[in-house]
Amino acid sequence: MKKNNKILLSIKNASYQYNDAEEGEYALKNVSFDFEKGKIYAIRGRSGTGKTTLLSLISGLERCTEGDIIFDGKNLKDVNLDYYRSHDIGIVFQSYNLLPFMTASENIILSMDASGLKVPNKRTTTLELMKSVGLKESYANRKVLRLSGGEQQRVAIARSLSYDPKMIVADEPTGNLDKQTEEEILDIFKNLAHKEGKCVIIVTHSANVCDQADIVYNLKKVA
Amino acid sequence: MFILKNALISIARNKGRNILIGIIILVIACASTIALAINNTASDLIDSYQSTYDKELTITFNRENMIKDFDFSNREKMEDMKNKFDNVSSYTISDVEKFGNSDYIESYYYTYNVSLNGNNIDKAESEVSNNSFNMPGPPGSDKGMRSSKTSYDFTLNGYSSLDAMSEFIEGTYKMVEITDGAWDKAFDGNYIFINEELASYNNIKINDTVKFEDESGNIYKFTVIGIYKENESNSSGPSGLFANSANTIITNADALIAITKAHSSVNGFVDPTFIINDYADKDKIQAEFYDKGLDESYAVETNEEVATAGLSSIKNVQSFATTFLIITLVIGGVVLFVINAINIRERKYEIGVLRTIGISKSKLTIQFVSELLIVGFVALLAGAGIGAAMSKDVSNSLLASEINSTKESSEQIKGNFGGPGGFGPMEGNSPAKDFAEKGRPKVEAYESIDAVVNIGVLLELLGIGLTLILISSLASMISIQRFTPLAILKERS
Repeated sequence: MKKNNKILLSIKNASYQYNDAEEGEYALKNVSFDFEKGKIYAIRGRSGTGKTTLLSLISGLERCTEGDIIFDGKNLKDVNLDYYRSHDIGIVFQSYNLLPFMTASENIILSMDASGLKVPNKRTTTLELMKSVGLKESYANRKVLRLSGGEQQRVAIARSLSYDPKMIVADEPTGNLDKQTEEEILDIFKNLAHKEGKCVIIVTHSANVCDQADIVYNLKKVA
Repeated sequence: MFILKNALISIARNKGRNILIGIIILVIACASTIALAINNTASDLIDSYQSTYDKELTITFNRENMIKDFDFSNREKMEDMKNKFDNVSSYTISDVEKFGNSDYIESYYYTYNVSLNGNNIDKAESEVSNNSFNMPGPPGSDKGMRSSKTSYDFTLNGYSSLDAMSEFIEGTYKMVEITDGAWDKAFDGNYIFINEELASYNNIKINDTVKFEDESGNIYKFTVIGIYKENESNSSGPSGLFANSANTIITNADALIAITKAHSSVNGFVDPTFIINDYADKDKIQAEFYDKGLDESYAVETNEEVATAGLSSIKNVQSFATTFLIITLVIGGVVLFVINAINIRERKYEIGVLRTIGISKSKLTIQFVSELLIVGFVALLAGAGIGAAMSKDVSNSLLASEINSTKESSEQIKGNFGGPGGFGPMEGNSPAKDFAEKGRPKVEAYESIDAVVNIGVLLELLGIGLTLILISSLASMISIQRFTPLAILKERS
């Protein structure tokens, strides 16, 4: 069978059980998906189907208890997840998860620092990133709490792009935003996937997001 | 590097909390500096004080051991008791040499004592004499225990070396007249020092020849090379009553050993003093002496009690300082731990975000510990400075209070019993120089301590401070290891 070189992430029969789960009780069971570069994926499902669990496995916040997740040819079981999160994957949360005591640019630079990448001029790179997600330069020195929800989410996206990861994983990124801002954010994601060739995975309930995704995966509750 | 930058940003951001932590560490550092300075200075003073004394060990008669199983109500057994005392096997100079050959013993000296009658010299009549050797006592006799009931005019004390001449070193006796080179001659031939009172009574002058005789009429000639006097305070009062008196002749041990070797009618007894390395070795030394043949009717004693008697106030202050240091560290450590634990709970979200963007647990731990170390180090320095400035006054104030308390207690004793009120603080900040001007060992105490903060204290403080900070950082370390980013962020959401 011909190997698909575009596949960046492959989930193979992944299951996840919490430490305190009873025997046979799974948060996620036998999930298998492939994700290619340059495409937007939407993962949807009802509450309790394991969407957030799947996202945490993809983003390296947890390790699957059974099965494998292969990223760029490497099994995440064998990878340092701190390194993986700071180099290979950008994570965007519904609640932004920015550090409120820092400015927009400090949040982005912190992420660059964490990756350890040698960026010649972090300030300039940060301003370019902010511009690319539709943020004004003047917002750079604002504490993030002084920004609107949409602006904070743009900062979060800029932060996730600061070390140029191959994949962006977003958990309900537009869940707290109005319709227009949702569209703007989706445009950023589409741009990242279709123009920059990144793989974008969005966990969502939103029909609009699913409509605009290239591929939609449905998660069903574990029986 | 960015970890350190983050740490500095966090310190600036959490000013209130860090100032609180800083104040707590400053107080701990200040109190610890004072306590350490007192402790170290007191230790130095104690060492210096004790170094002025040789650690001496002597052999004493163990009466307690001898009579422990004796039934005093049974008169018939009294004779048994007497025999028991008479039959105690004594020790000789060669035993003393054997005892002295020990890893625990630095050196030794002894006095060799012989009793003789005067031939061309009369005993000073004013003396309360106790020159006969009819008491079973601690010294060892070359010819068994002294059973003779004969009373002699004079006691000749022969010293093995200058070190053995404790009466002169301690100031019980003072030389009033002496020939040139007398101290060299004193250990080389039949030369003697005699009491001023005895000299006056017999009109004896320096370089006169004095003759003594034993029971068999053998004559022993000695040349007077020095005249000594007893300190006034020694000869007066109850302590002087039974002390060595006018009829005590001072000479060297070899001269007396030669007499006892040549004439079996003369009894001599040896009284050794061993200079030991450590008071703690006392029991081991005693066991070794028993192994080497010392009769178990004897025991060993050290001069530790006397050597440390003048240190009670300073030891109390040192003990107080040590206790204070421990309490400060324990309470301070607990408070810091709690503050850190609260700090970590408040910063849980921050930890979650930082972990999510890929900062490892170890780096985060370093950041949190660095924050505390930076604040702690600044506070430690400030605390050490304040502590150094205060340590002298605080230590002296503590010592003064302790001395006052001792004085009051002494006065109380004096009031109750009419005797001397214990060992009062004497002059100066130096160990006793005139050890026994007043006839018994006088113990001079310290009245100032001048606790100094030196590099040693600072290093100790640094060590203690850093250990305390690291222990209190355990809260952060454990929490960071336990927190999972997803759980934190879910909680936040």
